[in-house]
Amino acid sequence: MFFGVSCSKAGEGPAEWLLVELQGEMVSRQNTGLAGNLMGDLHYTKEGVPVLIVGHHILYGKQVKLEKPFAVLMKHSGLPQNEDDAMETNQENPTFYTVSALIKKKLIFKTRPKPIITNVPKKV
Amino acid sequence: MDEYDEMYGIEDDFEQQFADELEVMAEMEREHPTSAKVSEFRKKSISQTFEEAIVSGDVPLRKSVNNHCPESISPPVVEEEESLTPKPKKRRQDVAKKLQFENGDDITPPSSPEVYDRPARDWPGFSLSLSPDRPEATKITANVLDISGLATLQESPKRDSAARRHVQKRPPAIGDYITVTDSMGNRVYLNKKEDEEKVPDPRAFRNSLNGLGLLAVPIEVLKEQIAERRHRQVMEESQRLTELMNSGIDSELLAEEQADSGVDGDSGEDEGSSSRLWVDQFSPQHYTDLLSDDFTNRCLLKWLKLWDTVVFGRERKPRSAPADVRPNFTNAQNQNQSQRFKTKSQMTEEILEAELDQYKRPKFKVALLSGPPGLGKTTLAHIIAKHAGYNVVEINASDDRSAELFQKRIDTATQMKSVLGANEKPNCLIIDEIDGAPAAAINILLATLNRKDSKEGEESGANALKKKKKKQSVLLRPIICICNDLYVPALRPLRQQAFLLAFPQTVPSRLAQRLAEITRRQGMKADTGTLMALCEKTDNDIRSCINTLQFLHSRGQKHLDQRSVNSVSVGLKDQNKGLFSVWQEIFQLPRLKRKRIGGDPFGGFNEAGPKDGAQRLQHILHLVSSNGEHEKLTQGLYDNFLSMKLKDPGMLGVCTGLDWLCFSDLLNECVLHGQNYSLMRYFPFLPAAFHHLYAANSVPRINYPHSHYEAFTKTQHTKNALVAMLNDIPPAIQNRISMSGLCLDIISLLLELISPKLRPVNPQLYSTREKQQLYDLIDTMINYNLTYRQDRTPEGQYTYVLEPNVEDVVHFPGLPPRRQLTYQVKQLIARETELERMRRMEKAKQKQNPQKTEAVNKDQEKKTEVKKQTSRNHQQRLENIVKQTVVESRPELDFFGRAIVPKEKPVVTTTSEDGKGGGVVHIGKAVGNSDVWFRFNEGVSNAVRRNVYIRELL
Repeated sequence: MFFGVSCSKAGEGPAEWLLVELQGEMVSRQNTGLAGNLMGDLHYTKEGVPVLIVGHHILYGKQVKLEKPFAVLMKHSGLPQNEDDAMETNQENPTFYTVSALIKKKLIFKTRPKPIITNVPKKV
Repeated sequence: MDEYDEMYGIEDDFEQQFADELEVMAEMEREHPTSAKVSEFRKKSISQTFEEAIVSGDVPLRKSVNNHCPESISPPVVEEEESLTPKPKKRRQDVAKKLQFENGDDITPPSSPEVYDRPARDWPGFSLSLSPDRPEATKITANVLDISGLATLQESPKRDSAARRHVQKRPPAIGDYITVTDSMGNRVYLNKKEDEEKVPDPRAFRNSLNGLGLLAVPIEVLKEQIAERRHRQVMEESQRLTELMNSGIDSELLAEEQADSGVDGDSGEDEGSSSRLWVDQFSPQHYTDLLSDDFTNRCLLKWLKLWDTVVFGRERKPRSAPADVRPNFTNAQNQNQSQRFKTKSQMTEEILEAELDQYKRPKFKVALLSGPPGLGKTTLAHIIAKHAGYNVVEINASDDRSAELFQKRIDTATQMKSVLGANEKPNCLIIDEIDGAPAAAINILLATLNRKDSKEGEESGANALKKKKKKQSVLLRPIICICNDLYVPALRPLRQQAFLLAFPQTVPSRLAQRLAEITRRQGMKADTGTLMALCEKTDNDIRSCINTLQFLHSRGQKHLDQRSVNSVSVGLKDQNKGLFSVWQEIFQLPRLKRKRIGGDPFGGFNEAGPKDGAQRLQHILHLVSSNGEHEKLTQGLYDNFLSMKLKDPGMLGVCTGLDWLCFSDLLNECVLHGQNYSLMRYFPFLPAAFHHLYAANSVPRINYPHSHYEAFTKTQHTKNALVAMLNDIPPAIQNRISMSGLCLDIISLLLELISPKLRPVNPQLYSTREKQQLYDLIDTMINYNLTYRQDRTPEGQYTYVLEPNVEDVVHFPGLPPRRQLTYQVKQLIARETELERMRRMEKAKQKQNPQKTEAVNKDQEKKTEVKKQTSRNHQQRLENIVKQTVVESRPELDFFGRAIVPKEKPVVTTTSEDGKGGGVVHIGKAVGNSDVWFRFNEGVSNAVRRNVYIRELL
C-alpha cells in the first residue's frame, strides 16, 4: 500500500513527496474508510531510520531511492460531468493533467510490526 | 399398293367375308398406274368406299373394331410389323398361301420359316387354316385371336401416312402436314410423318445410341425367345384343338408326341441322376484330390499332427519324419512350392515346429482358416481331419447363436468320444463360419482354450493319458475354425490365439483341369477356354464353378460355349470387395486374354463389341451393388475421375460424368428425403457409367476421397465463425440478419465498410471528420461483434486478424486478397474498439449500479446486527477481564512518585462493535484509540494492487 507523504519546502516547482510502502493494510476500525482519519506518526531515529506508529503497532523501515521517479498528476477533465460517453470529439477543452508532485524516494516498512504494550494486566 | 396395305391391316377380320373382293381389289390396284399424277383424293375415295362397304357390310364387327382400337398393342408385334414394311411383295405371297390353305384340308401349321420369324402376324392365318373344317371352333379361335388381328388393324393408318410421304400440292386430307412456300410463291404441303415410323432396325437403333446394354441378353434375343415361346404355345394350342376336333389322330402328330414324351422321360432320368449336387458328388475324398494351395494344405496337416502326442499318445516323430511324409502327399508340387516360400510362410513353418506346451499341446490350440467362399476351406478341414485319423464334428457357428448351446456343443465335441461305433476315433471339432458367430460364443471358445486345471501343479509329472482321464476340463482336442472374413471385430481376440491360415486363390489352371474332368464324366462338351472363362467369372470359386456347370447341364446344355457361360448370371457370388478394389475395377478395363481389347474407352467401345461391354457393365453393376457403400464409393469416384486419362478434347466425358453425379445426387436425395428406397436400385448405374466413360487400360492411381471431409470441416469452420459472430451481435441488429443473409449479402460488404482509408497517425491528430469516421467504424465493428486480435504468425511476425475471422467465409481461394488495413491502423482500431466496449460496459453497469449499492448497504447492516448478537458472550468475557485489570491496576506514578491522572478513561463498552478487533481495542488503549490500525500481511507482497477504472483516467 502506497501513500504519498508531503515533504520538504513548497515553493519553487512541484513539491517532492515521499512514498510510504507498507507490507500490510491499513484498516479502518469502523469500516468508515480511511479518508480524513489520522493514520499515525512518522518519526526518524537519530540514525535516520524511519519509525511509523500506527495504532498500537510500531514499524521500523528504511528509506530507498526509487529507480524511476514518479510524478503525481492531477487530472482536469474536459468533459462535462453528467455525460461522459462520447469520445470528446466535439469538445474544445480536452482532459489535461498537471504535475503536482514528484516522488523520488520511498520508505519501506516490510518488517513485522511490534506491538506497543503499555498496560500489562496482572491477572488474566 | 397403299390401299393394299390398308386392306391388309383389316384383312384378318373381314377376310372371310370379303375374300373375293379382296382379290379383285388387289387386281385393281395392280392395274392402277402408280404415277405421281394420280391424286390422293382418288385413292382416298376408293379406300373410303371400301371402308364404307365394310361398315355397311358388317356393322357389329366394325364396332368391335372401334372398341378395341384404343387398346395398345404389345411392342413386339409392332416391331415385327415394322420389319415387314420394306417387303410387301412377300405379303402378297402369304395371302396367296393362306388362300391355298383355305382350299386345302391341311390342318398342321405351316412349317415355312416365315412362321418362326413372325408368328404374331401368322396367328390369324393359322386360325384361318382351321376354318373350313369346323366353323364353330373357328369362331372361338377367331374371337380369341381377334385382338392380335385388331392390333394390326390399328397399325394400318400409320403405315398409310408413311407411304404417302412425298410432297403434295394440296393439303392432305388425313394427318398433319407442314406448308412450305418457296421463293417463287409456290406452296407445297409436306406430310408429317410420325417419329415411330422412322425407327429402323432396332439393333441399329441401339448401336446408334451407343447403348450401354443394360440387359445381359440383348433385347432382340429376348424378343426372339418370347416369339419362339409364343409360337410354341400356339403350336400346343393348335395341337390341342386338333385333338379336340379330330377323334382320329394324325400319324405325324402321334409321332411327334411320342418324341416329346421321350424327351420328357429322358430329362426325368437326368434329374434322377443329378439329384445329388455335383459339388458333393465330385468333392475330393483324399488329401491328394485337394484343389487348394498345397502349402496351406500341408500347414494345416502339420498343425493337426502336432496334436498327435496328446490325442493319440504317440511321441512326436523326429524332424526328419515329416520330411518323409511330405513327399508322399505332395511330391509333385514340392519343387515349385519350395521356390514360393516366403518369410511369412517360413514364419508359419516356425510356428509349426515350435515346442509343445505343458499339456503337450501345440502352442496354438485353434487353427483359423480364412478366405473367400468356395475355395474349399471346409472340404480341406474335413479331409485333413479324416486323414489325420479324427472323427469330424462340425458346428456351424452361424446356426448356434446362443452362447450356452455353443458351450455345450464345444464341450460335447472336445471331451467326449463315441464308444458305440466301431471306429473309435477322437473328435476333431470344426467350427464353420465362425465370423457369423456372436462375440459371446467366441468368448466361450476362448475360455475353453485357456481353461486350466487347478490341480495342474500336482500332476505335472503325470502323462497325457492320465491327465485326459482326470482333467476333463482341459482342452485336448484340436479345433479348426473357418471364416470368410478374418477381420470381423468379434474374431479379434481369437486371432491372437489362433494359428492363422489364409487361403489363397485356387490356381485357375488346376481348377479348369478339374472342371474338364467333371464335364467329361458328365458327358458335357466344353473346351478349356470356356472353363477358364467360367473360373474367371466366379473368381476361381470351386463350388460356384461346379454348381454353374451342373445348372447348365440340368438345363439341357450338353455343349458348353463361352457365350452361355457369360450370359448365365449364376456363378456370381455375393461377396464384398474392398472399396479400393472396387474403384480400381471401375477405372480399369479388365485384362482380356486372347481377346482384342477395346483400346479407346469412348470410340473403341463399339468396336470392342456390345457383348463385351454389356458383360463389363453387368460385372460393374454386380460389383457395386454387392459392395453397398454407395456414398463412399461415389465420393471416391468423384474425387478420382478427373485424374483419369481423359481422351476426348471436348471434355464431353467429364460433362457426362458430372451429369451422372448430379443425377446420383438427386436420386440419393430423393431416397433419403422420401424414404423411397425402391430408387436405390439405380445407384449402381453411376459407377457403371463411370466405368464406360473413364476406364482405361493403365492401372489407375486412386486416392482415398478426402474432398468431402475437407468440405465438411470447412463448412463447420465457417459456420462456427458465423455463429460466433451472430451470437454477440446486439439483438436489435441480430433480428434482421440470418446466417445465410450474413454470409451471402452482408459480410463481403461489411468487410469493405470496416476498412476505410485512415491516416496511420495518432488519432489525436485526426480532424473532426476523421474522428467521426473512426467512431462510426468502431461503432459498426462493435455492433457486428468484430474486433482485431493480435496473432503471431509462424514466422514470428505479429499481425492483427479479424475476430471472429469471417474474412475466410467470403474469400474465395485463388482470388487476390482484399485490401488490408495497415498494422498500425488495425492496432488503433483494436484498441479503440476495446476502449469503446469498456466504456459501454461501464455505462451499462452504472445504469444498474444505484440499486445495487443500496442493496449492498442493506446487506452490510444486516450483517453487523447479526455479528452483534453472536459476539455478545465473547465481548462480555473480555469486558470482565478489562474491568478486573482496571480495578486492580495501581495508579500510575510518575518519576517523582506522584500519581498521574489518566488523560482519558478507557472507553470500554461503547465502541467495541467489531467483534474481531474486540480484544485489541481494549488492550491498546494506551497508544490511543485511533481509528486506523495496521494489519501486517506476512510473506505477501500484494502491496500494489488497486482497481483503476478507465473512466477515472479519461
